[in-house]
Amino acid sequence: MAEEALAATDLVKSYRDRRFGDVLALDRFSLTAVCGEIVGLVGANGAGKTTFVETVAGLIRPDSGSVRILGIDMLRAPRMARRRLGFAPQEHAMYVSATVRENLDVFGGLAGLRNFALRDAVAEISEEMKLTGLMDRPLGWLSGGQWRRAQVATAMLGRPGLLLLDEPTAGADPPTRQAMLAAVRARAADGAAIVYTTHYLPELTDLGATLAVVKDGRVIARGDQQDLLAGLPGEVRARFDGPVPASLRNQGRLDGEELVMNSTDPGQTLASLLAAGHTPESVDIRRPSLDDLYRSLDTASGHVV
Amino acid sequence: MWSERAADGRTRVTALIRLNVALLLREPGPIASRLLMPLVMMSVLAPLYRDAFSSSGVQAGSRQVVAGMLVMFSLLALSIVGSAVLTERMWRTWDRQRATSAAAWELLLGKAVPACVVLLAQQVLVLAFGAVALGLDVPNVGLVGLVVAVWVFTLLCLGTALGAFARSHSELAVFYDLGGITLTVLGGALLPISMMPGWLRAVAPVSPGYWAMQALRAALAGQLGPMTQAVCVLLALALVAGVLASLRITRGWSRSRLM
Repeated sequence: MAEEALAATDLVKSYRDRRFGDVLALDRFSLTAVCGEIVGLVGANGAGKTTFVETVAGLIRPDSGSVRILGIDMLRAPRMARRRLGFAPQEHAMYVSATVRENLDVFGGLAGLRNFALRDAVAEISEEMKLTGLMDRPLGWLSGGQWRRAQVATAMLGRPGLLLLDEPTAGADPPTRQAMLAAVRARAADGAAIVYTTHYLPELTDLGATLAVVKDGRVIARGDQQDLLAGLPGEVRARFDGPVPASLRNQGRLDGEELVMNSTDPGQTLASLLAAGHTPESVDIRRPSLDDLYRSLDTASGHVV
Repeated sequence: MWSERAADGRTRVTALIRLNVALLLREPGPIASRLLMPLVMMSVLAPLYRDAFSSSGVQAGSRQVVAGMLVMFSLLALSIVGSAVLTERMWRTWDRQRATSAAAWELLLGKAVPACVVLLAQQVLVLAFGAVALGLDVPNVGLVGLVVAVWVFTLLCLGTALGAFARSHSELAVFYDLGGITLTVLGGALLPISMMPGWLRAVAPVSPGYWAMQALRAALAGQLGPMTQAVCVLLALALVAGVLASLRITRGWSRSRLM
């Protein structure tokens, strides 16, 4: 069994705000990740993803609960725990007037790399993240995507056992996204656990990530994508030669000339159409996606962990 | 094990110092102005002060102008320290640093060393210019050196505290412009305390500049007792500011702490 890289248990964090009242940002938030696993943390804005990530990074002290990173208690031995951690926050957080190389050097140094080890690690990550032509440019000169690549590169230096990437591809173009996803996959293949928050759900399919769906400060669904998608309805879109037959209109909804039916078993749905004597001119089947899962959980009131 | 940890600590501090030196040198304007402006002001004001203090002896005017400009411009140089800290907060790089295995004192040391070098350079330049160009007599270099070291340490702590508590660069600028000038005037850097109205004399000791002036004047005159007293007050101020800054930095900032 793979070693547990992250074990966050029953984290609670509330903020006092005189203007807006108390906010419960984390409400018994629990999450584990094993080495080599990519965990996709998804949820609406304000669900608690960033608070969770910052708590694991040791930037926010929870009111209660525990965080262990590769077996080390973050609250009792924070420096030792952080030694095993790489963190790229959601917002831009690097030295604007320093060059890419200077940024990589300082974060490499903070990760304990020096001399040849630092030089080699910087060369390797800059190659991997396609930064080699940008090394002597100040950060302030970079585009948003280049900045993102540089920021994730600083988090990956020193090959930490746990990587926290908070919306690393937000606003990134496709090549940037591809470079980032390739690097994330490579780190996971090397044995690092990665907590990856994003609103781009197809990325998580690309990464083969397990999912943790966050709502109101807690994880409401956790597991493999296939397990979580099983049982969710996909869509069957049927187009007929002419208008949708009146007898079928109550079987789904109309979208122009198409009949759209939600179905967990598209084959059975088609068979029932044919049995009723209606042969569609064309049929389009869409399997359930992470978007469907996300929507279904977002509207669900109960917890399905 | 211990030596490995020490080496890691050295690596982190060295990386931070190297970066902070690079950042300071990338914008040399403020440093150059803080280094050169006191020399210009001293050259302009020295004849006036010598005339005004002629009844108190040959050295009195030189002491007043050198100590006064040293305190005044070092208070203004607080901006170098405070801005460096606040800029890290605005760039969110403090949080990146806090998420590493670096201790809070390592982060502060990495920030403080380059600023400390700038402040020391400023003080030494002012004193050297005073001695060479204005004929200031420095009878005990050791005493003056001690005061300069304590004052630089106090400035670092005050600057870090300001940078840690300010919410924006404009708020910080208000601290410097109003605070710096007020503390300079109150401290007796422009006008000797003895020439001030009674109520100003009564409130003057609230200014760190007052104690820096007292310590410097006493050190230049070779008076160990008054110098020790003033140095102790400066160290106490540094301690309070340093503790407040460390607490603030260790605790971190919520997102609403920046404007």
